[in-house]
Amino acid sequence: MNFESKIRQTLSNSARIIDKEQFINNLTTARHEQKLKRSQAISGILAACLIIIIGVGSYFELDGGAIYSGGNFYFSDSNISNIDFDEFNLNSDNYFIDDLAIYIIEEEDDIWTAFTFLDEIEYDNFINYMEES
Amino acid sequence: MKKDRELIQEFQNGDEEAFNELVRKYLDLVHGFFQKITNDEMEAEDLAQTVFIKLYKSLKKFRFESEFNTYLYRVNANTANTYFKRNKWRNIIHLDQIIEPVYKDDKQDREWKKEEVMNAVSKLPKKQRLVVMIRISEMLPFKDIGNILHMSEGTAKVNFHHGMKRIKTLLGIIE
Repeated sequence: MNFESKIRQTLSNSARIIDKEQFINNLTTARHEQKLKRSQAISGILAACLIIIIGVGSYFELDGGAIYSGGNFYFSDSNISNIDFDEFNLNSDNYFIDDLAIYIIEEEDDIWTAFTFLDEIEYDNFINYMEES
Repeated sequence: MKKDRELIQEFQNGDEEAFNELVRKYLDLVHGFFQKITNDEMEAEDLAQTVFIKLYKSLKKFRFESEFNTYLYRVNANTANTYFKRNKWRNIIHLDQIIEPVYKDDKQDREWKKEEVMNAVSKLPKKQRLVVMIRISEMLPFKDIGNILHMSEGTAKVNFHHGMKRIKTLLGIIE
């Protein structure tokens, strides 16, 4: 017997009969499982891509980026205008005059002194103007 | 009984039962092939299942450029090749472990254990391994083996010759 035949004989098995219908059932199950795994993997990848896209989009949506701002926010004056300052000053003056009038009434115990004071304040700009001219 | 071509065309048109018919027809051949190259019955069944899953995916695009038989042998050979590569790694990983008692056939005229032979086959270069596997398990002529593996008859013969020579060396046979 030559070497090839000996090898062949070594490998020959008493072939076990396989249940074909059982095999087909197992095969169908295995195929469905593979299909399910593939669709799960695809969904996972798509979800990851979506998260990355949203993340990158959000990052660039922020002024100067979410992580590094360069310290510019310390010096930002874009939301404050001179008009705001004037209004603030005007309101602030009114409160100051009211407080001063109340103080005069309490201190002097005479309401007319307070009236005089308010009159002077009211005509203050006019008096100043007359004095300058 | 329907021909392979008809079954494949029906499967391509969406008939799953046609594929099951193909499985019934070729299961013994595929399973027998893997029974010869593995020691474990379960492993042979798993490999047969792998082959049919591959076929399920690929037959939908099958263009009948070769015979289905030839195509099936090619899938068998490639699956067996992957199995051997995986097994070689397994052997390296478990070198330090105690070798389990190997399968020994009860017939007296066998000189080597199946595992020894397949271990030697797994150590061959890819082309030699594929030719040797198909030749010793299916006894196909070299012309058919050449068709299956996309090589000439002469190349198949040469690869087989070198493969067998190497197996002899690995089995410790001095000529």
